[in-house]
Amino acid sequence: MSEKQMLYQKRLERYITAMDCGKPDMVPVAFGVGEWIAKYTGTTLQEIYYDLDKSNSIVSEMLPGLDFDIFKGGPSLWWPPMFDAMGSKLYKFPGIGVEENSTFQFNEQEYMKPEDYDEFIASPTEWLVNHYLPNISTELENPGSYRSTVALIKGAAAFAMQGGIMAQAYGKWTMDHGIVGQGTGFTKAPFDTLGDALRGMKGVLLDLRRRPEKVLAACEAITPHNVNCGLAGAGADTRFPCFAPLHRGAYPFLNPNQWNNFYWPSLKATIEGLWARGKRMLFYAEGDWTPYLDKIAELPDKSIIFQIDTTDAKKAKEILGGRFCLQGGVPTTLLTYGTPAKIKEHIKRTIDELACDGGFILDAGGVVMGDAKQENVIAMIEAAREYGVY
Amino acid sequence: MLTDALSIAIADLEEEQVAGMVKERLASGVAPLEIVNSLQMGMAEAGNRFETGEYFLGELIMCGEIMQDSMIVLEPLLIGSNAEYKGNIVIGTVKGDIHDLGKNIVVMLLKGSGYNVIDLGVDVSKEKFIEAIKEYNAPLVGMSVLLTGCQESMKETIDAIRAAGLDTKVLIGGNYIDDLVKAHVGADYSAQAATDGVKIADEIFSA
Repeated sequence: MSEKQMLYQKRLERYITAMDCGKPDMVPVAFGVGEWIAKYTGTTLQEIYYDLDKSNSIVSEMLPGLDFDIFKGGPSLWWPPMFDAMGSKLYKFPGIGVEENSTFQFNEQEYMKPEDYDEFIASPTEWLVNHYLPNISTELENPGSYRSTVALIKGAAAFAMQGGIMAQAYGKWTMDHGIVGQGTGFTKAPFDTLGDALRGMKGVLLDLRRRPEKVLAACEAITPHNVNCGLAGAGADTRFPCFAPLHRGAYPFLNPNQWNNFYWPSLKATIEGLWARGKRMLFYAEGDWTPYLDKIAELPDKSIIFQIDTTDAKKAKEILGGRFCLQGGVPTTLLTYGTPAKIKEHIKRTIDELACDGGFILDAGGVVMGDAKQENVIAMIEAAREYGVY
Repeated sequence: MLTDALSIAIADLEEEQVAGMVKERLASGVAPLEIVNSLQMGMAEAGNRFETGEYFLGELIMCGEIMQDSMIVLEPLLIGSNAEYKGNIVIGTVKGDIHDLGKNIVVMLLKGSGYNVIDLGVDVSKEKFIEAIKEYNAPLVGMSVLLTGCQESMKETIDAIRAAGLDTKVLIGGNYIDDLVKAHVGADYSAQAATDGVKIADEIFSA
């Protein structure tokens, strides 16, 4: 076994032990190269988004000097050419819709109307193909037309190209630097599928009062698709969790009654459906989830990794600790406005409070964006190694 | 305690009742401005309920929706009546960010409390902020930002406002806003909850 392979094995074991709530040799550290890298490399965000080779080579240059375990990916979350091929209205990308150094933005609209519920519930994927795709893409406005068919082929080809390029890059990073990827597969809470992508925040919140039974039926109809999505996208891999960015369940969007009756049952069913097939979820709880920790604790042991963003970390440890792995501990604003000294001090305290008996992965709380300072991000990794030995 | 049935109906989010009552009152000759006042009192109560933890954002958005639907009927009838505002407030989501959910809730609560709110929308340049502050001589400007990556444009906007010699108070709000961000961008106030905006405005405008 080569040195790098041994390193990979060691890090993999560290990650898996923590996921299973155990105590590895040291606290595993998760790290991603965020949009902040652009300002240190003389490239625009637009170049980083559009040119995957460039973006990946920046990552390749950065990795050798860094000692962390779990890799969360490179600076661009999306590859815009796929969206461009379909004339997508969903996003504004750097250089197209926003300035070349501005981050991407999701253009939230009521792409599904209240009167669409029944058809959607009867067959979600059929409705998506016949109505959603035409609603969100200028090139797909007339399904079956020459223009639409060509755009669909181009979009699908771009999706496959991106997958191929990224798989190759991950393979190389694993071999060359012994890093472990954080997850495989992607899914969402059914209520978020409805509330983010289809009805929009305002639409779904009004639906909860005007047509609650439709919301429930739609979430139920989405659930099996979201279970499948988490597994199928991962090629049925079950060693690593699927990523699930969670949105509308954050406090204080929904009242407790709405959360209990509309947000939680279908998310719980999705997690249980995945776990029954051995697949864990990275429960990426963006924002504050403190009031719901007791409900989350109802999940099967170890079925999620709970991401702490602005949730009360001590309460999360108290209520979920021991039964679920926790990930986070470094506020994203600290990576922007803090100093390396402050970050070291914070990490020492965080490890004392949260990592003590294992089941903990050190990570930035939320998505680290273009505003973070490189010296702070690096101080985070270094401090984690300094204080993270069990 | 609310005594006006219309105020109670909007505070309780009774959409159909509110629509019916607005029509009835107009038909019976009640002044449109008086009806707006009743609605505003109910909205202020919804804000109070948010503060005590009884209401969540979903309820505030519903309340705003009912108000908006009522204003579609009432606004054309208000022309010529002398609405008295507590003062002018300029508000917008800063350059680079297009999120407006939080901003819209704050706008609705400020309007409900009797302020004249000049809403500049999303992705607002510093030039637009300055122009509006000057035009309306606004003692308070509110800036909203969700993404941490766009906080820097908040700082640039505030710097530009100061460089233009304007001493308008700056209030910032958004999910990742805290004292650290407030100090960095040079704002006067930061808001964590939807109803903080009204409290801070009341403090400034009553001084």
